[in-house]
Amino acid sequence: MITAQERVSANAPWRVGVLFSYTGYMALIEETQLRGTLLAIDEINAQGGVNGREILPLLYDPASDPATCGRYAKRLMISDNVTMIFGCYTSSSRKAVLPVVERLNGLLWYPTLYEGFELSPNVIYTGAAPNQNNVKLCRYLMKNYGTRFYFIGSDYIYPRESNRIMREAVYRHGGKVVGETYLGLRAQRSDFRAVMREIEDLQPDVIFSTVVGDATTYLYQSYADAGFNPKVMPIASLTTTETEIYAMGFDVGEHHLTAAPYFQNLPGDNNETFVRKYKRRYGEDQPTNMCAEAAYFQMHIFAKALAATNSTDPEILRPMVLGADFEAPQGKVRINAASHHTDLWTRIGRVNRCGQFDLIEQSLSPETADPFLLAY
Amino acid sequence: MSGSGPSLPGEVVNIDIVVATIRDSSTEALLRDLQRMRNRVKYVWPVPETLPVDTDVIFCDLVPDLPSRLPWLPGEPKAALVALMAPGMAADLDLLRKTAPEAVLHRPFTTAAVLSSLLLARSRFTYERRLRGRLTKLDGTLRSMRSVERAKTILMNTRKLDEEEAYGFLRRQAMERRVSVGAIAAAIVDSNDLIG
Repeated sequence: MITAQERVSANAPWRVGVLFSYTGYMALIEETQLRGTLLAIDEINAQGGVNGREILPLLYDPASDPATCGRYAKRLMISDNVTMIFGCYTSSSRKAVLPVVERLNGLLWYPTLYEGFELSPNVIYTGAAPNQNNVKLCRYLMKNYGTRFYFIGSDYIYPRESNRIMREAVYRHGGKVVGETYLGLRAQRSDFRAVMREIEDLQPDVIFSTVVGDATTYLYQSYADAGFNPKVMPIASLTTTETEIYAMGFDVGEHHLTAAPYFQNLPGDNNETFVRKYKRRYGEDQPTNMCAEAAYFQMHIFAKALAATNSTDPEILRPMVLGADFEAPQGKVRINAASHHTDLWTRIGRVNRCGQFDLIEQSLSPETADPFLLAY
Repeated sequence: MSGSGPSLPGEVVNIDIVVATIRDSSTEALLRDLQRMRNRVKYVWPVPETLPVDTDVIFCDLVPDLPSRLPWLPGEPKAALVALMAPGMAADLDLLRKTAPEAVLHRPFTTAAVLSSLLLARSRFTYERRLRGRLTKLDGTLRSMRSVERAKTILMNTRKLDEEEAYGFLRRQAMERRVSVGAIAAAIVDSNDLIG
């Protein structure tokens, strides 16, 4: 009798699962995470793979549906014998995959900002936790734009939980939330007209958006159609990246704000190389963004740990991942051993005429991930 | 990945196993099955007063005082336990409940039953261990939250800081000393309690 591991010949590829949607209303952003993932795999394989074996991604398209995402995670772990899954954008899809990887002992690599308050031994979180974006953005907005906030979000877990945190920060600094609206994930352009009328009436100082997916374009375009001035009353977001700006039009996005660990515009050799390779592979007009970057660097962190352990058994690999650091395009990052989250850079950017973010504020060093907001 | 011949999950190979049951031909078959999977198998008989703790799995007769022979508290198992049942043995459900094994195996032992019970015992054990680990971390987080809130109040009162400054103070201290915010907060609370 031989084990499943030994059955694989010495140069058979390392098989990993990849779960990003390339169809449906989340495809725009999730496809960039898929690209970041595949670009990193290409780089690793071009260097001869990991210990002489290529990384082979098994791709499934959850089609923007959380339940489908859970079913594919099940298939990956049960039929494809995969223990490593790279994927998920929405919190609903992460929560669908969570019981599967916890029960069957897999490892989900999750390259997306989210609402925090979770710590699974079977997840590595490489996107921003709320203390790495919400908190700083709130402070900046109050100082520079005013204290009256209007919240607009997509109607699912992340926006509601994230806004709970943002509301607390706003009130703590003496601000006020004057209005709050949630629209379905499949919201259409016309749905945003009523929102714009309400904003016209309420006259907030800032619109804080956690709208995701295709609706992002409709939000910003409706804002532009309503004739508001983004220099005075910008939309500030944690989810609008270069990719959404590209989709909505640079003129529509100009002057609006986003807090993120990474922008394409950042200086540094690592980022220049990343951007150059990304564009060469996916098109000169295709921007990188924080989600693609997290997907990219987490695959490299995985490959480094795999080289050391030569095993995809999570019990063996996990200890090598926890505490690992990496020179990512955003700068040095570290997987925080205590929280399974990543110590990332906090940055605030303002969209310029070319659809890129001009950096207007950043942390002096990576911010320690604090997913439960213990010290905030 | 399918191929010829059986393939075994990593959970049931290369592990330490203790077997404590009377030696007969069925037990010999059990020992052979376990060894064939390249496990390190240790046979003990009679059932020792205290079962060993430095092992991954224990196969042991369901003797009436088995709970007291297990070197751990109920709910905090140190190894996966497979309870061995004699043929015709009446199911003592109360004893089973109190022993809380991860799997049950009936004599005579067939290879299929041995493998199944071993796999179930191991996978349940490791799953529950991960869940307990998650709970321990959550409990720690809750304790830290309480400490941070108390430390914040202490800092606000003794150093005349506002809430934001107090949180900032805790974060800076934690970063400089390379410890968690919870640990800094607990230290502040403790020293304040001492001064009283």
